[in-house]
Amino acid sequence: MEKDATLDARGLMCPMPIVQLAKKVKELKSGQVLELLADDVGARDDVPAWCNRTGHAMVGQEEEGKLFRFYIRVK
Amino acid sequence: MADRFCMVVSEGSFDKAMMPLIMGNTAASMGMEVHVFYTFFGLKLLKKGIRPKLPGMWRLFTGMMVKKMMKLNVPNYEEMLKQAKELGVNFYACSTSMSLLGVKQSDLIEGTKVLGASKFLDLAADSKVTLFIG
Repeated sequence: MEKDATLDARGLMCPMPIVQLAKKVKELKSGQVLELLADDVGARDDVPAWCNRTGHAMVGQEEEGKLFRFYIRVK
Repeated sequence: MADRFCMVVSEGSFDKAMMPLIMGNTAASMGMEVHVFYTFFGLKLLKKGIRPKLPGMWRLFTGMMVKKMMKLNVPNYEEMLKQAKELGVNFYACSTSMSLLGVKQSDLIEGTKVLGASKFLDLAADSKVTLFIG
């Protein structure tokens, strides 16, 4: 998937991936796609919930073993 | 109006210190407005330079837990507080508890607002989520 930026949150535990995600999204422009990498199991449901709450669009979600990869389009 | 999230913290141990900050920082990152009211023994968590300890006999193992958290990349209490401030989390000290425990405004971390119960309840009455940590 095409992306404008990547946030590597691997090795970070809840709630750090979400806190950093919220910060990162502020740096991006509307319509840009952010790739988020995380390996905290909580992220699997936390990131979609965050998108649902904040209005940013989850346009892709993949799991590769212990790695979660999310694609978020900034609102 | 942004979704509002209010918490009351009434204990000052390590676990009661971390929980509201983890919840609060997450909520603030989700775009929620966060208010945390510290009362009774929770009040000491707002004192400058505090290093909270695990409760009761477990206090002896605080260092071990802090080290484990460092290993797991979980931010420590001080870092969580700093993060909360950056995210705009609001911290309140219960005015009665301050008199009761002899705590002065100058003892508290910067940005703490001293509040009575009515003002906090006024905020909490229009809150979507309220939690009691104690």
